[in-house]
Amino acid sequence: MNTIYINIALRFIVLILAQGLVFNKFDFLGVYDPYISLVFILIFPVKISRISFLIISFFFGLSLDYFSNSLGLNATAFITIAYLKPSIMNFVFGNFYDPYGVKMIKHYIIESTIYQKILYVFIIIFLHHLIIFSLESFSIDQILIVFKKTIYSSFLSFIFCFSFIYLFKNER
Amino acid sequence: MQRIIDSILNHKDVLVFLILLLLSLYLLIDSNYFHKSKLNNFSDNFSKVILKESSSIEDYLNLRNENKKLVKENLRLNNIVFSKKEIPNDSLLNNSKYFFSAAKIITNNFSFTKNYLIIDKGLKHGVEKEMGVTSSTGIIGIIMEVSDNYSSVMSILNTNSKINAKINKTFHFGTLEWDGNDPRILNLNDVPKIANIKIGDSVNTGGMSTIFPENLNIGVISKIDSKMAGNYYDIEVKLTNDMTSARNVYIINNNHKNEIDNLKALIN
Repeated sequence: MNTIYINIALRFIVLILAQGLVFNKFDFLGVYDPYISLVFILIFPVKISRISFLIISFFFGLSLDYFSNSLGLNATAFITIAYLKPSIMNFVFGNFYDPYGVKMIKHYIIESTIYQKILYVFIIIFLHHLIIFSLESFSIDQILIVFKKTIYSSFLSFIFCFSFIYLFKNER
Repeated sequence: MQRIIDSILNHKDVLVFLILLLLSLYLLIDSNYFHKSKLNNFSDNFSKVILKESSSIEDYLNLRNENKKLVKENLRLNNIVFSKKEIPNDSLLNNSKYFFSAAKIITNNFSFTKNYLIIDKGLKHGVEKEMGVTSSTGIIGIIMEVSDNYSSVMSILNTNSKINAKINKTFHFGTLEWDGNDPRILNLNDVPKIANIKIGDSVNTGGMSTIFPENLNIGVISKIDSKMAGNYYDIEVKLTNDMTSARNVYIINNNHKNEIDNLKALIN
């Protein structure tokens, strides 16, 4: 159990620094930044209780806000995604998903098809970006710009998050 | 009573979620809309220190480009100084209306529609609210919030920012705004259709506000749309300043600002 928490703490620090110092300045085509920090939510162990997951995600988002100078924005998006994550997993993985933690997370990741993985990652990224960009602009006037930014950044984040998860998968 | 406690315990996930959601929404609204002294409390925390260190590494990597920019600026200033017959003496400089001081950007953002920058000068260095910020190639924004060591700047790439600008050739004034789309393009509104303007005309600051002096560079007209109904053009201005690579900036202090503001207050 302890190793899980140490693992989470490590991911917390590494992903915050990576997002805050490197990927916030990525600026693909001048504007679009990938949100690599979503990997934290994507690979968060299912074993840990929902309440601690929510609280940890809140502090994760808040620390990210300190780096991007947008107090509360990332925190809101991260806790919403953390709250919705079990329902999304249930929807995507169906019978592979086991909320009581009898199966390990790696089992259903190994057993599920590649399309399920892609769908899971993409739904979470898209929802997160939609929340961030619509909360940030907060007006109906700019709804087209919000959708454009959401779609472009989602594809960018998707490429980065997916390759990040695949690169570091074998170590665990 | 037991039932109420039971139902609360059954839905404790939802309860925690709602509490956290309200807390983060409160932080979001409080920091974005009221610009109270929130930044003062948070500004000198660990993240600013880390960001400052990381920006010093980036500065080193960008030295070559910064040198080029500085040489260009020196050339321009030398041309101004040596084309004048008399070099102004010190007493004249002391009486000048605007006072420039240097600062450095530590975080820059343009992926949102309401973007802010952080610069490494604050109250200790004499920075105050509503001072203008410019770089050697064009304007950057207006200071919104000041803490001891840092200040936050509302970028011109912010849909709330409105800047008084004029078309250099015809002296027509307009308001410069951003639609949130492209960080290289701003919109110039309120220019009447009687103005005789062409693509390629340069746009400078208007000097109608106390924030920016007149004739600072902004950009050139890249597109004119007069098909819309109404008496005003839709003009797109391409910035001369690359907002995405700005690093060294100047803060503009207007010595006569209080005087002008007092007069305005008397009228109202």
